[in-house]
Amino acid sequence: MGNRPLIRFCLRHSRRHLVRTLLLVFGIAMGVAGVVAIDIAKTSVGKSFELSTRALVSRSTHQIAGTGLEIPQQVFTDIRTDLGIHRSAPVISRHVKVSELGDRILTLLGVDPFSETHFRNLHLSPGEQDLSGVMTGSKGVFISRSHARQYNLDIGSPLHIFLGSRKTAVTIAGFLDSENSATGRMLEGLVVTDISLAQEILEMEDHITRIDLILDQDAAAEKIREHLGEGLFLVETDQQNTAVRGLSYSFETSLTAFSMLALFMGIFLIYNTVSFSVTRRHRLHGILRAIGATRANIFFTVMAEVMVYAVIGSVFGVLLGILLGKGAVQAVVATVSEMYFTLTVSQTHISGFTIAKGLLAGILAAFVSGFFPALSAAGTRPVSLMHRTVSEKGFNRLVPGLFICGLFILAAAALLMRTATPHAGYDFTALFMIFFGSALLTPLLIRVIVRVLLSAGMGSLGMMVKMALRNITRSLRQTSVLMASLMVVTSVFIGIEVMTGSFRLSIIQWVDDHIGGDIHVSSTDPLTQSLDTDLVEKIRQLPRVESLSAYNIHPVFSRASGKVHLFSYRSDQSVKRWSWTAAPKEELDALLENGWIFVSEIFAQRHHVIPRQGAAVTLETQKGPVPFQVAGIFQDFFMGGGRAVVSPETMARFWGHDDITSLQLFLASDTPAEPVMETIRQMLDPEDMIEIRSGNAIKQSILAVFDNTFIITSALQALTAIVALTGILNAVMALLLERTREIGILRACGTLTGQVKQLLLHECFFYGLISGIMAIPLGTALSWVLIHIINQRSFGWTYEMVLIPGVFFQAIALSSAAALAAGIFPALAAGRTHIPTALHME
Amino acid sequence: MDIQISNIDKSFDDSGSRRVIFRRASALLPSGKISVIMGRSGVGKSSLLNLISGIDLPDKGFIQVGDHCISFMNDTARTIFRRRHIGFIYQFFNLIPVLTVLENVTLIAELDKVPQKTCRRQAQTLLEQAGLWDRRHDFPETLSGGEQQRVAIVRALVNEPDLVLADEPTGNLDQETGAKIMEMIATLARKKNKTLIMVTHSPDAAAWADQIFSVDSGILTPMDSDTNG
Repeated sequence: MGNRPLIRFCLRHSRRHLVRTLLLVFGIAMGVAGVVAIDIAKTSVGKSFELSTRALVSRSTHQIAGTGLEIPQQVFTDIRTDLGIHRSAPVISRHVKVSELGDRILTLLGVDPFSETHFRNLHLSPGEQDLSGVMTGSKGVFISRSHARQYNLDIGSPLHIFLGSRKTAVTIAGFLDSENSATGRMLEGLVVTDISLAQEILEMEDHITRIDLILDQDAAAEKIREHLGEGLFLVETDQQNTAVRGLSYSFETSLTAFSMLALFMGIFLIYNTVSFSVTRRHRLHGILRAIGATRANIFFTVMAEVMVYAVIGSVFGVLLGILLGKGAVQAVVATVSEMYFTLTVSQTHISGFTIAKGLLAGILAAFVSGFFPALSAAGTRPVSLMHRTVSEKGFNRLVPGLFICGLFILAAAALLMRTATPHAGYDFTALFMIFFGSALLTPLLIRVIVRVLLSAGMGSLGMMVKMALRNITRSLRQTSVLMASLMVVTSVFIGIEVMTGSFRLSIIQWVDDHIGGDIHVSSTDPLTQSLDTDLVEKIRQLPRVESLSAYNIHPVFSRASGKVHLFSYRSDQSVKRWSWTAAPKEELDALLENGWIFVSEIFAQRHHVIPRQGAAVTLETQKGPVPFQVAGIFQDFFMGGGRAVVSPETMARFWGHDDITSLQLFLASDTPAEPVMETIRQMLDPEDMIEIRSGNAIKQSILAVFDNTFIITSALQALTAIVALTGILNAVMALLLERTREIGILRACGTLTGQVKQLLLHECFFYGLISGIMAIPLGTALSWVLIHIINQRSFGWTYEMVLIPGVFFQAIALSSAAALAAGIFPALAAGRTHIPTALHME
Repeated sequence: MDIQISNIDKSFDDSGSRRVIFRRASALLPSGKISVIMGRSGVGKSSLLNLISGIDLPDKGFIQVGDHCISFMNDTARTIFRRRHIGFIYQFFNLIPVLTVLENVTLIAELDKVPQKTCRRQAQTLLEQAGLWDRRHDFPETLSGGEQQRVAIVRALVNEPDLVLADEPTGNLDQETGAKIMEMIATLARKKNKTLIMVTHSPDAAAWADQIFSVDSGILTPMDSDTNG
């Protein structure tokens, strides 16, 4: 028998069940959309990073940088005159805001126009004036032409550049022109001016940020290294960029993990739908086999149909993913800018690879999902034509075997996670194995739970409840697929809720432990960052201030991550309860005084510090590279390159900072913070850049930052919920169609339409309830994996898993409500059952 | 209760065209008697039972069951009427597979909120008469065809309905079992003075009839029962 008539017959069958066919296509589309949207967000971060940095680094092979993130300008002169290296350019780069350009963060790039020719293709169009005159003679800056057009600005328009709250008035001297649209976007993140104006705006006097170099030979690099004084070093540009770029890779990996979760669920739900579709046609397949269709004919027909819808669904999914991805880019770029590095350009990047990946994911997922149902359809025996229960009985015999098989797969997943080297691919494989293994446990678990519910007196609630429960085990082959899918979806909800809940609790605990003061005073001056010692003394003398902790926090250069924050404290009065990943063996302050340091988990991860006593890390200091003994690794939730705690003496000796950058004030009990804050404000000059905030306000703002991190997670959760509901609705509709004859009998015997609806809704409720119950252990396991494996590897954070009972109840309620909601439409349809037709259905 | 069929029309949509089943059909099926409906396949015998029970409605005309004009009732009223006054026996038994024998029998009474004791007592009496009380906790799939049909008969009679409708009740059984089942239905109906309307192709089953009707070309015509015995 040829396949064409069979395919025609299948497609006609799908047309007759249009709603379910559309739901199948929609389910595939949503799964693909999740993958595409995340991929767009990820690649866009990469593209935005490239655009934000390419204009700055250009063709340089090396850079000279300083430990304090700036170097004397004299170094540039020496390099040119003493060493004769002419392909060198001084650079100042710093993030500023320009009020006339929408208050966006931009990079102020100070360059020497005469040195630039080797490095950057900055097409400066200075209007009517001479370029060198514009750059050196007046307070003129260049901005991108497209940017100026966007804000209706022209040459001569005034601009106000803000560094913190320090404001400098400049004018637009000309435009940056681009060769093409890609470089055009790149230039939008820049404000270019000459070195001296940049120094004036940033109050850097005779300092610059770095020197860009083009070096052809290693010998030249070696010569420079020998020439550089203390606190200066030569780095390779690519290596440095890779180090900075690497900061957010882990975050992007976690996004992939979540999009894989969405895809896993997609696979389950597509399998669910296809499996139902095949079961519905069991009799038809039997007839076809009886009249001469081969197993291959049936297999090919089922697969062909699934693949047709997979292609349609995947195409729609890609389109939907592009729409969702565009929205997700903003959220992801904002998170990366907030936590890792500032992106001055945000670019939505949609590559052919992303589209191909989405299409392939949808088609492969549908293939995998359709394969086993198609195999099962091909195995239909003509003799089973009149006996629907034959396949059900066969399945029932398989149940114990499936359970044992599921246990083996779960054990293998656990082994893979414990023994494999950390790699996202292994984690995802193990995660999939956990879902798959758990799904194989469901048939037996469902049987047991139904039995328990019936013997616990559920049956005494009435015949409808009893029927609903028994219907679940009667069609176990189908219900177990539906309920396994619902269990997976609910477990993802539990996993993410427990993960975010535990994380939030840890953050609250951490904030409470570390920010114990009632009032915080800190410098917001991006240049000096120091608090005036007289001011500190005056604050100390305030009558209601009982004690005071002083901190010294400075960013310094790091080869491993671009920038790290060094932290020292004097008279720390806060109830500081460090949580240690690797705890120090001796008293904390004594170790610090001996020159040891403590580092955060992220610092340790970035600098490859092995958490054991005696581990050392080399840091760039004003005295050159110095190895420091690491006394302990503490849990910390600050991102970027991480933090290291040093003693004030070490900070002063190696980095030259002996100032105070922030204070925590501890007030006498029952003293309201606001009047004291007001008193301190009155001590300040209007131009002082000092922030005074209450402890509570600081805590809230920290929590808000971390809540933002999970915005994208919540969006993915919503997406998976939509995928789930679609699949459940499809499955419930198909399953309840199986009940049509039974409904006809009940109606003929005198059951009211309301009672029939009640029966179906009861059944749906139990689908949800039992799936919710089964999801609790799986969700707990998933949250463990998310917290201790994926999150730890992604962010470098470790925190305790806190099981919140409310989440479990919420999950059961959600799962029951989702199944009930999915049952409403079929129940209404069941109420309209045409009894004579239903009675004649097989 | 008498069944008065008055000038009913009934047609179905059949792939775009209308297939007429009844055209101004009328008949009186007397109370307490066994009426048998005969005719070729597809002439509308089962449809007539559906119309009498209120499962389906005539396009025109009406059907009166006792004092109740079932054709003019709304769906809920028809369902409750059916539940309380009509018992239905089918060719394929139509038992609910997830309910035990006893639960199948007491289902409708329970839905009608009849006290459990009452319906269980009545079910026990009938199941004992049918020889199935020992199997009351078994599920239908474990019973033979004859046993399933006996459960269906008990279910149809447990509510003491005034009217019993049987749609080819022996059509799915061997001759010997069919004869026993037919005897059971007729005996119970006669003993309890029920009106029994039965659709059948079987001459053996028709032999129990007090009155036979034939359905042909949309008309319901009384026949001489002797000619069919």
